[in-house]
Amino acid sequence: MSAKTSLYDAHVKLGAKMAPFAGFDMPIQYTSVKDEVLAVRNAVGIFDVSHMGEFFVEGKEAISFVDYLVTNDIKGAEMNKAVYSPLCRDNGTVIDDLIVYKLREEKIMICVNAANIDKDWSWISSVKERTHFDCNISNRSAEFSLLALQGPKTEEVLSKIGLGENVSTIPYYAAIETSFNGHPVTLARTGYTGEDGFEIFSSHENIAFIWDAFMANGVVPCGLASRDVLRLEVGYPLYGHELNDDITPLDSALKWTIKMDKEDFVGKAALADYNPKLRLIKLVMDKGIPRPGYQVENKEGKVIGTIVSGTMSVVLGKGVALAHADRDLFPLKSEETDFIVDIRGRKYDAKYVKQPFVTGGHK
Amino acid sequence: MSAKILPNLKYTDDHEWVLIEGDTATVGITDFAQNALGDIVFLEFPEAGESIEKGNSFGVVESIKSVSDLLAPISGEIIESNTDLCDTPDQVNQAAFESWMVKVKIADSSELDDLMDADAYQKHCDAQ
Repeated sequence: MSAKTSLYDAHVKLGAKMAPFAGFDMPIQYTSVKDEVLAVRNAVGIFDVSHMGEFFVEGKEAISFVDYLVTNDIKGAEMNKAVYSPLCRDNGTVIDDLIVYKLREEKIMICVNAANIDKDWSWISSVKERTHFDCNISNRSAEFSLLALQGPKTEEVLSKIGLGENVSTIPYYAAIETSFNGHPVTLARTGYTGEDGFEIFSSHENIAFIWDAFMANGVVPCGLASRDVLRLEVGYPLYGHELNDDITPLDSALKWTIKMDKEDFVGKAALADYNPKLRLIKLVMDKGIPRPGYQVENKEGKVIGTIVSGTMSVVLGKGVALAHADRDLFPLKSEETDFIVDIRGRKYDAKYVKQPFVTGGHK
Repeated sequence: MSAKILPNLKYTDDHEWVLIEGDTATVGITDFAQNALGDIVFLEFPEAGESIEKGNSFGVVESIKSVSDLLAPISGEIIESNTDLCDTPDQVNQAAFESWMVKVKIADSSELDDLMDADAYQKHCDAQ
C-alpha cells in the first residue's frame, strides 16, 4: 500500500498516470514526457515532490552539527544559502544526497530523498546521539508538502499569484521564509532540472491553494518521468543510480562536495585515504537509447563500465547516459572519447563528453 | 481516456493487434499500448526473411522512459517488414493501427484461436 501526497486527488483528476515511487503513489506523467520536459525548458512546469523528506535542526549549535554531519561546507555558506551535499557514513560511503537550507542562525532545514527518509533519519539520530552538539533534530516530513516550480517563466508566475516578494532578488541556491494566504512558506531557488525555479515548502492545506493558483495560471503539471529526463540532461546525480550505499562521493564526480579543509566531519578520515575505483562519465549516442545496466566497452571491446542512468534526451533527440567507468580501464588522464554500448547484443557508438548534455538556464 | 479498438482486428493480451488476410498476419501495437507507453522514440523488429515464434520477443518498442518487448502473436516467417516506421517511431503514437510493423506468413492457423476479438480485448483493457 503506497502513501499518497496531499495532491493525489488533483493528479488523478488531471488524468495523471500514477505509479508507486519510494513508497508513494506519484504522478509519473500527465500528458507526455516530451511536452512536460519542453514546458520546463521553455516556459514553466510544476512538480509535486511532496514525497521528499524534511528534517529540521534547531538550536545554538545547529550549524556546527550539520557542518559535522555532511561533507560540504555549511559553516562557511552565507546565511539563507542552500547547499547540496552528500551524507556519508564514517567509512565514506553515501547514505543519501540532500540539500541543506541555512534558514537562520539556529534553524536549518534538510531536504532528503523520499526513498531514504527512514535510513537518513536513523543515521542522523545516531550521529546526534554520539556527539554533543547543542541542538534538536526533528523529522517533519509528514507535515510538509513540496512543490518544485521550474522553468524560465518561474518569476513571472510567482508574481502573478503573489507568492514571495522581490523574488528576483533571491539568488540561485538561496531560500527565504515568507507566507501565502497568511500561512508560512519556505521559498528556495532550488530544483533539480537545471532551469531557474523555486521549491515551495508549506503545509498540505496551503500547498493545495498554491497548486490551484498555478493551475489557474497555465503552469504545466509535470510528472516524475520528465523530472528524471530533465535532471539527466543536465547531468545531475540521482540516488539509487549514480549514488548508492556501496560507493563514496569520490566515485561519482562529487569531489567538489567534499571539503577537506573544514573541521572534522563524518567520513573525513576515510575519504582522505580513499582511492576512487569508479569515475562517473557522460555518454551521448546518435543511435540507440542507453539504459541502466547496459555495458560500456572501449574500442578494443573490453567492458570498461556500466550505464547507471540513460534516456532519450528530449532536447537533443539523442541517447544520453551517465555511466560508472572503472578507473583502471578508463583513467582520468585518458584522452579516449569513442566507446561502444551493448544494447541487446548489438553494438552502438557512444561519445564521451565532458560538458552537461544540455545547459539549463538557472541563475 | 478511452483507447481506440478496431472491430476487424484480433488482439493479444500483451496489446499487439493482428490483421488476418488469408494466410498473412499483419502485426502492430494497439492504441491502448501506445497510450500506456507514452512518447515512442525507438522501434526495432526483424527484416523480411526472419522467422518469429508465438509468445517470444521479436523486437522492442522504447518510449523515452521505458523499453518493452514486442511479443509475437503468431509464429511464421516475416514476408514484409515496415522498416520505414523505425525512422518515425512517433507515428505509432499518432496512429497505432496504421503503424504496422511486420507481415507474417501464418505457419499454424490454429494459433489464431488464442487471439482475442475486439469485445474480449475491450474487456481486457477495461480491467487494466
